[in-house]
Amino acid sequence: MPEKMETAIVVLVLIGIIVSSGTMVYTTSVMSGVSSTQSDVSTLADSMTNLTSSVGDLASIMADLAETVGEYADTIAALEASLASLRAALTKMTLAEKTLIVGTTDSVELTLDPAQAYDYFGWSILQQIAGTLVEVKPGSETGLDYLPALAVSWNASEDLDVWDFNLRQGVIFWDGTEFNATHVKYSFDRAIELIPSIPEGAPAGLGYDSIINSTEVLDTYKVRFHLNDPFSPFLGIASCRASAIVNPEYAPIAQVNYTAGDPRASTPVAFVGPYFLSEWKRVAGRDIEIKLDANPFYWNATGEPAKTEHVIFRFYSDAPTLRLAVEAGDVDMAFRHISPTDVLDLEGKPNVKVWWGTGAFIQYLCFQCAHEPFNDTRVRRAVTAALDRPTVCSTVFLNLSEPLYSLIPPGMLGHTEAFQKLGDANYTLTKSLLAEVGYNEANKLKFDLWYESSGHYPMSAEQALVYKQAFEASGVMDVTLVSRDWAAYKKARDDEIMDVYVYGWYPDYVDPDDYSFLYWASWIHTNYYNETLNGLPNPSYSAYLQQVVFFDEARSTTNTTLRDQLYAQIDDIAVEQCSVVPIYVSTAWAVTKPDVFGIVLDITQDMRYWLIYIGE
Amino acid sequence: MGLRSYIITRILLTIPTLLLLLSMVFLVMRVLPGDPVSLHFEKKATPEQMEAMRRVLGMDKPLWAQYVDYLGGLVNIEYLLEHGYPNLGKSMQTFEEVGGQIFSAFPATLELAIYSMIIASIIGILLGVTSSKSYNSILDHLIRGFGTVTYAVPIFLLGMIFQLIFGVYLRWLPTGLRLNPAVDAPATLTGLYTLDSLLEGNLFKFFESSKALLLPSLTLGLILSGMFIRMTRTNMLETLRLDFVTAAKARGLKESTVTYGYALRNALLPIVTMIGLQFAILLGGAILTETTFSWPGLGRYVVDRINFRDYTAIQGAVVMFGLFVTLVSLVVDILYAYLDPRIRL
Repeated sequence: MPEKMETAIVVLVLIGIIVSSGTMVYTTSVMSGVSSTQSDVSTLADSMTNLTSSVGDLASIMADLAETVGEYADTIAALEASLASLRAALTKMTLAEKTLIVGTTDSVELTLDPAQAYDYFGWSILQQIAGTLVEVKPGSETGLDYLPALAVSWNASEDLDVWDFNLRQGVIFWDGTEFNATHVKYSFDRAIELIPSIPEGAPAGLGYDSIINSTEVLDTYKVRFHLNDPFSPFLGIASCRASAIVNPEYAPIAQVNYTAGDPRASTPVAFVGPYFLSEWKRVAGRDIEIKLDANPFYWNATGEPAKTEHVIFRFYSDAPTLRLAVEAGDVDMAFRHISPTDVLDLEGKPNVKVWWGTGAFIQYLCFQCAHEPFNDTRVRRAVTAALDRPTVCSTVFLNLSEPLYSLIPPGMLGHTEAFQKLGDANYTLTKSLLAEVGYNEANKLKFDLWYESSGHYPMSAEQALVYKQAFEASGVMDVTLVSRDWAAYKKARDDEIMDVYVYGWYPDYVDPDDYSFLYWASWIHTNYYNETLNGLPNPSYSAYLQQVVFFDEARSTTNTTLRDQLYAQIDDIAVEQCSVVPIYVSTAWAVTKPDVFGIVLDITQDMRYWLIYIGE
Repeated sequence: MGLRSYIITRILLTIPTLLLLLSMVFLVMRVLPGDPVSLHFEKKATPEQMEAMRRVLGMDKPLWAQYVDYLGGLVNIEYLLEHGYPNLGKSMQTFEEVGGQIFSAFPATLELAIYSMIIASIIGILLGVTSSKSYNSILDHLIRGFGTVTYAVPIFLLGMIFQLIFGVYLRWLPTGLRLNPAVDAPATLTGLYTLDSLLEGNLFKFFESSKALLLPSLTLGLILSGMFIRMTRTNMLETLRLDFVTAAKARGLKESTVTYGYALRNALLPIVTMIGLQFAILLGGAILTETTFSWPGLGRYVVDRINFRDYTAIQGAVVMFGLFVTLVSLVVDILYAYLDPRIRL
């Protein structure tokens, strides 16, 4: 039993050994396999890590590459943009002959709405973009040569209070609307209706509501104006910018909101002129750039189209900088204002050309008739006789203005040399007239001579000095100069505190009717037109009434000979009364590059940009 | 007083300062002879037309009511948030928003001020330091002479000389305005043409706008540099005599390190203050430079508005100028207080 037990134990041990060995071998084998697998996995993991790293590197490289490419693309895009811009600029430069660059010191005051605009430059731009019933012939010497524009013909009733206009057919606004008589009626009705809300506008200033009673559409292309009184200069009114025809779609009758650059005024579709307004930039209430483009729908595009495709206005702060700009070639043309000294200096220089023309701006001396002793015509005439117009024109304006002896400028109907009767620096007459009133070398006539000092009028201080010297050279006058800036000067005028003062006038329309009334214009505040002065009868009142009679008579006839005589009679009385005394009339000039042509500087003071071109 | 309390006190003090300034301008403008109503009528005007215009301009109300209306507009937060600028009223001449007008002209002024100040600072500080280093030498006299001449020469004269040389004779640079008309203005982001051109990625426009900016900023920069030269020289001379400079030299530091690293850093504080204040003044518009170069900035705006007795526009401009100067002064004061705690005591 014990042997069996031993054998069994041995067998069991052997089995155990065998099993253990087998297990061990298997385990070892398995472990070896696992180890091998682990090694493989590790190798694989390493490989994967390497691969991932390589992929990462690759991605990084790709990202870097993409970034670099992106940067290059941005740079290329920027370069392309610059090149495109350069090309565009070069294209513009190569098309320079199609673009006229104009330098000016002017600026549109408020708007380009004809119902509101009442400044020279605003009207000048309006003239390029808007059409009127009639136009003054370019180069006209009298300003009374009217040409058909949106009206092809016209006629007035015998008593001049009914005017009929036959309108041009086939004229279209930019938006395709065809121009007809309703547009004319609408434009004038609108101008009059807006007067209460735009008291400073041109229709208010020109008195459209007192001139025009109503406008009537007779048929599609015929319109009739019923006037309140006979008015011979009605064509002058019809040709001025306040009478520009507007497209009702873009110029509604509404309360004006006073915003400069108002779309109603600046939209290119509102008018039917040779140009349209393609750009109007303003900064801080001043123009920075105005661009006009030729209007392809202009009614006269086949007859007399805009000769230059684009006109760009650049705005300079004063005359010296404008002069430098034209001299440097920064602008093709400089118009308003280059000083007399500069324009004479520029004349004859090879890189510029100076254009001369007729002027219509006048300046005159005003007497405050309510101030003693200027309520006495002898005193007013004595001072007038001492005026020295030729010296003012030669020393102050370097002969770029002309002495004026009637408020109506030379060349215009009704112009006379009436004030020649009193002469210039005529001290004999001055002394004798003043002696009658008790003034002499021992008892000099003392008064203040006022002038505007902020550049509203040209060379005001220099003028005033020459006037003072001329007056005092008589030996019987003692003059004190007083100056104010324009705002204070106007206030002083309205307050009637100035003894003697200098004022100026630009016409609204070129007709003696728009000059002659200045002798008694109430807004000049001379009090010459009052029935009484300081509670006493005004000795000049009857003379004033007579002048008004002649003036109204001239308004009610188209007979030029008769009108000429009537204005001469007004002047004759003016010389005796000397309420307002003409001094000088300006000359007009423009400066351009030598290759600019087509400038017409006539008595209208209009600059017709559509006639100007750059050429050989 | 802590720095925070100091800053709050300074900010609060700006309110009565601005109010006082505004009240003075409001009254002074109305005392001046001239009537914005009559200025709308070059020729005739009936009493009814004058009255209508008076109503349009808000001048039919009593003076105190106009003043209260104006102040009420200024503190209108809703308006400020909507427009991005305070309600300064409407111009009595052009009927445009005064705030809009001022902010439309401000970028041109700011651009000119920045470039001028850079030019003035570089020229002024470099020459000032050079002058102080070569004290009493020919170079010193030359630089001092240059500083005196540039400080004394009328700005319009220098501007016109530059225009004649570079514009008329050489034709390298434009005589005025902000941009060549053949080039469209860059899209407005900041209103500074040079910066906007770069942001637009348009090098050509950058080149053109820099060309236009060069003469006005050089003119103004040169004029200002005269003052900077003198101030830098004086401060440097004082600083160079101080013990720490001698000590630095004794330790064998390089001359340039002593001059620029030690002396200039100490001398710079009052110069930086002056640059800050000059910059604030320039933000009000360099009237003569802007006029000479037809630069459409705030300087020209103010002159125009005064001529037209445009009360609201002038009030608005003065308020904004006051604000600019006050803000820059405030920043300078705070910097000083931060740098020198004794100021807060």
